[in-house]
Amino acid sequence: MKDVLYLAWRYLAHHRIKTAILVISITLIVYLPAGLNVLVNRSAAQLTARANRTPLLLGAQGSSLELVLNSLYFESDAPELLSWAEAQRVADSGLAEAIPLYVRFRARGQPIVGTSLGYFDFRGLELAAGRSMAILGECVVGAATAEKLGVGPGDSVVSSPESVFDLAGAYPLKMRVAGVLAPSYSPDDEAVFVDVKTAWVIEGLVHGHQDLAAPEAASAVLDRQGDTITANASVVQYNEISEENIDSFHFHGDLSGYPLTAVLAVPESDKSGVILMGRYEGEQEPIQIVRPIAVMDDLLDTVFTVHGFVVAALGLVGVATVAVAGLVFLLSLRLRRREIETMIKIGGSRAAVGSLLVSEMAAVLVLGTLLAGGLTLLTSRFGAVAIQTFLLG
Amino acid sequence: MTNSLFQVLSCAFVVGCCLVACAGPKEGAPGDETPEAQASAFAAAPLTVYTVNYPLAYFAERIGGERVEAVLPAPPDVDPANWSPDPDTVAAYQGADLILLNGAGYAKWVARSSLPESRLIDTSAPFREELLPLEGVATHTHGPGGEHVHAGWAFTTWLDPALAKEHARAVAAALAGASPADAALFADRLAGLEADLESLDRRLTAARQTLADRPILFSRPVYQYLIRRYGLNARSVHWEPGEMPGEEMWRELEGILEHHPARLMIWEGEPLPDLAERLEALGIASIVFDPCANTPADGDLMSVMERNSVSLEGAAGPGSS
Repeated sequence: MKDVLYLAWRYLAHHRIKTAILVISITLIVYLPAGLNVLVNRSAAQLTARANRTPLLLGAQGSSLELVLNSLYFESDAPELLSWAEAQRVADSGLAEAIPLYVRFRARGQPIVGTSLGYFDFRGLELAAGRSMAILGECVVGAATAEKLGVGPGDSVVSSPESVFDLAGAYPLKMRVAGVLAPSYSPDDEAVFVDVKTAWVIEGLVHGHQDLAAPEAASAVLDRQGDTITANASVVQYNEISEENIDSFHFHGDLSGYPLTAVLAVPESDKSGVILMGRYEGEQEPIQIVRPIAVMDDLLDTVFTVHGFVVAALGLVGVATVAVAGLVFLLSLRLRRREIETMIKIGGSRAAVGSLLVSEMAAVLVLGTLLAGGLTLLTSRFGAVAIQTFLLG
Repeated sequence: MTNSLFQVLSCAFVVGCCLVACAGPKEGAPGDETPEAQASAFAAAPLTVYTVNYPLAYFAERIGGERVEAVLPAPPDVDPANWSPDPDTVAAYQGADLILLNGAGYAKWVARSSLPESRLIDTSAPFREELLPLEGVATHTHGPGGEHVHAGWAFTTWLDPALAKEHARAVAAALAGASPADAALFADRLAGLEADLESLDRRLTAARQTLADRPILFSRPVYQYLIRRYGLNARSVHWEPGEMPGEEMWRELEGILEHHPARLMIWEGEPLPDLAERLEALGIASIVFDPCANTPADGDLMSVMERNSVSLEGAAGPGSS
């Protein structure tokens, strides 16, 4: 048997190019559908894992997909806004913990996620350096953001204006980095986390300025009637929060009307979740409550339909390639007729010659299949990174 | 050949296993501790309770006993209402099992800090309807946000023993929620505290009856709930016990005295001797009624309130002007 295998090996080694072409063909036939399948499954797992861990999401009526993509992946534009009162409504219901989300602003391209400390516990995020945000104007950055922006505890990150043409818009806020999160291999790695109140500072709803009752602010005062002071736009507002000026920061208007992009509701039990969902069922209800996994499943159904067509097409191509490979083997047998006759004449039995030819074909098939298996394994291993890099940006 | 093929497949399997094993940690993988283990550890250690003022720390200690470690990080020489902790102290608050707030806008730093909502307990929430609004505070307008007020509510709520009882009940409920196994213990201790507060209420009521409708002055507008509780005929000025008021403030006082002929001024702390003497010259006696917002140098909240009631009884009793 060893002799037969040795002769088969020598034959394949001698016809390197033909062997390489056959092996590559077999590899691709096996790998393309298998690899695509693995990639799509990993993509689905990546997208749904986070959605799966997010029980309920409240947002204003509108696109549920936009709401989920913005709240879970910090992608897409900000959805329709809802008010802080909705977060209070969830908390007051006693059915679920309410985690506010205000994902609207960016800092050098990285999403600024306004939320509460409960978010870190909920996502199981841990600090790699520094501490959590403690006061207005502090932020905690994800691992990838810290690397991209080259920042660590004690450094600063500046929020970006929403539009370069919005001259009267919110001032950029210089935020102090209080801590850096350990990698979580999720969109949280890309975020700049701030307290939701700091996000409101960026928007200008919470702000600090010079004391209008002080003599040095006299030039900014338009009118003073009794206890009411009216100031003009020249009043000096702070764009960095420090220990010296933090006491001057205050809230404009009614806090319950302050904006959020979503409220992440973490019910105490499945039953609580169902009851909570029932409270937002009315047709006139301005708030929608969604299960992110259901929204992502709808999205993935579309992806899987396309995926099915692609796999079917690849299957057909595979059948054609196998047929061509078979033809190559049959033609090569015809070309090797004299070689086969010579082997028989010098004493080789028909069985031995048959074994030799089968061994050659088997070796090509096994080699091609092993290579395809290796590539599929690599796709499985690095698929998540590839998806993060190319699909989720 | 069979051996070689087997070796190749074995190698491929081993490499595959290694690759899978080397895969990075998955998102959101929390610690390995089970809820039972966490609950067990939680039950063994006393509850760490951070508060924003001394009365709440006292209530937590009285009700919780050894099951509670009450912490008020404010330095002893400041008024916790106006104190702002540094970020590291806020981080310490974040690590507490419970954070007891006075509510009514007390400790404005809370609104400017990141604290865990699920562990924040507003102990005045049960009587929010009874809060008194502050008066005479400036509003301002600029930009599209419109006029807004920086004032809020009078916040020295615990000076009304009935409201202090409400605070204490809210504290007991929060402690029981955090440590259900100790709920019965907390309820027993709460009953003792409520009895003390009722006793204080009776003494202050008696002092009020002796005072009748005699006009009195308070050195600062922080006694609103005491005034309301006992229906005192009182006016407040903005005087500090450690500062001699300017002449304008004395003239303002004389103006008040024309319509409100008070013979007693009640202070947060002992006034300067010169200040007390000048008031005496106007026929106004000075006594101290310490709100006890911060940890007292000696004694505790109840002993300070005891001293306060004795002072008030002395000022109200026979022989006093």
